Amino acid sequence: MPKKSLVALAGALAAATLLAGCGGDANAGAGGPKLALDAALPTEVPDGVKIVVGDPTTEKALKLSGQLGKVDKFVQFANLSGGPQTTEAFRAKALDVGSVAEIPPIHATWTGLQVKIVASKFRQDALNHPIYELGIAPGVQVKTLPDLKGKKVAFSPGQAQGALVLKVLKKAGLTKEDVKLVELPSTGDVYSSALSAKQVDVAPIGGVQIKRYLSKYGKDGAATIRHGIRDDAGHLYVATESLEDAGKAAAIRAYVAAWGVAQDWTDKHPKEWIDGYYVKDQGLTAADGQWLVDNAGHPDISGDWSAAIERQQETIELLAQETGNDVIQAKDLYDLRFQSVAPDAIKAAGAGAAK
Amino acid sequence: MSGQTATLSGVRAERERTVVTQPVRARKRLGPGRPIRFGAAIGPALLLVIWSIGSAVGWLDPRVLSAPWTVVTTAGDLIADGRLQSNLLTSTQRAVVGLGLGVLLGTVLALLSGLSRIGEAILDGPIQIKRAIPSLALLPLLILWLGIGESMKITTITLGVFVPIYIHTHNGLRTIDSRYVELAQTVGLSRSEFIRRVVLPGALPGFLLGLRFAVTGAWLSLVVVEQINSTSGIGYMMELARTYGQTDIIIVGLVLYGILGLLSDGIVRLVQRRALSWRRTLAD
Repeated sequence: MPKKSLVALAGALAAATLLAGCGGDANAGAGGPKLALDAALPTEVPDGVKIVVGDPTTEKALKLSGQLGKVDKFVQFANLSGGPQTTEAFRAKALDVGSVAEIPPIHATWTGLQVKIVASKFRQDALNHPIYELGIAPGVQVKTLPDLKGKKVAFSPGQAQGALVLKVLKKAGLTKEDVKLVELPSTGDVYSSALSAKQVDVAPIGGVQIKRYLSKYGKDGAATIRHGIRDDAGHLYVATESLEDAGKAAAIRAYVAAWGVAQDWTDKHPKEWIDGYYVKDQGLTAADGQWLVDNAGHPDISGDWSAAIERQQETIELLAQETGNDVIQAKDLYDLRFQSVAPDAIKAAGAGAAK
Repeated sequence: MSGQTATLSGVRAERERTVVTQPVRARKRLGPGRPIRFGAAIGPALLLVIWSIGSAVGWLDPRVLSAPWTVVTTAGDLIADGRLQSNLLTSTQRAVVGLGLGVLLGTVLALLSGLSRIGEAILDGPIQIKRAIPSLALLPLLILWLGIGESMKITTITLGVFVPIYIHTHNGLRTIDSRYVELAQTVGLSRSEFIRRVVLPGALPGFLLGLRFAVTGAWLSLVVVEQINSTSGIGYMMELARTYGQTDIIIVGLVLYGILGLLSDGIVRLVQRRALSWRRTLAD
């Protein structure tokens, strides 16, 4: 008798643990009516619909701008972003919307995952406000792009940093054989550490890592150079099957609208953004926050994606050639129904503010 | 007659001389001797001294490893800001829940496996398989099965905790000395009495050793899970610091984990000393 009750207890414990979260978070609220990918987007978010969104920065912007109430009924935020994490979460059906740069939607498609871009943000005067600069290891002589010849360059296929490296080589008139590509994923401070430890000679670094790298290792001869290539794309992308659920599609549309207004708010309220996000939430100094705001310049959220699609097609063809993947059509990655959702929302919010 | 008297005196004198006693020599001590007061603190203190000297003299580049005083001031800033204690509270909650579930699960499985041959045949193999599969490699599957919320995190910690509890408790149950089994049979104990008076007390040292591994395992698992969809916790704070190149905050996190590990282990050893006060070993 004691043996049987112990067996039952162990079984119940295991079952309780596993059943607690079975199916992943994104499945909650699923099961709405089917929606064709070319049907008009529904505008009403039904009760009970839930989408999981991996866009931590925008979550904070919505909170600080007082807009969280527009979406919090149907949006659950996840603290993940960037290609590797969001792709993995899409596969796990744990995420509906992810925030990424240019490459992840392409790479996801090549690995058999169907995704669509539903919002895009670029930078005004993009060449002077690049996301990345090329970090140069201390003691390495690289002043211009052709100087990369023979150098060890950090390379991360499947990430924006990897695509940038390929574009830089092309611009410099070099091929992969002219340099030593060191395959190394770019997460956290991996590239900065690899540069300072001289494991690579050149690596694209972004954000405050640029400032930190130069302040720490500049006296040892560390440097950065500009690459003169547009690297400013920022997208919201979704697993296609989320768009095939009418309720989720409506929720995604509403989220994209709020996202657009949030981007506009952060641009127009830099002080509040620096204090509320970079200092209070992320633990940076105000100087770091100001540096990041200046570095980013101003957002360009256009209602016409045709130029962006052309640029992405060029990227796809370059990547396909260099990595041996099939050429795909950039326009197939975009859901054009969403093209004007964000700009219209910004316009409407601006009109509202003017009253 | 006078000759006989002289002979007796001689015999008595001889006997007195042979009775002299040798001085007593002290026995050689074979054990390690009495515990050194605060002995457990000497090693860590030495590490701290080496680190301080290394930083002060310039052997250690502060860009690679922050100086101890930088760690203290950074920790002070984080405490003043409220970030350290709020992250610590969140991590502690996760660790405690995962530890509790893991200990319970490990103990139940160990009893099932240790008290029954059929239980052992069924459970021991799969648990050794789990032991060989690192939690880090299991994470993608756990995300698939459980999503990216708290339940996935607690489950990961639980899985990291229950294995050492199981192994050491099971070993304790299986290595009861046969002498005690025979004694129990001789005095006619019932099976339940045998388990309560002989088996469970005999397994207690193993369980407590497993608990020392388990409490550390809980903190180790935290690092991994707090880098996935967390907005709080020490692991999250460290990962965020990596993104922004804040080396000093990363070191604060590492030092904090080290302290938490030492404290957890110390608490278990304290419990161990009291729970096993009936033992007489070299450790006591």
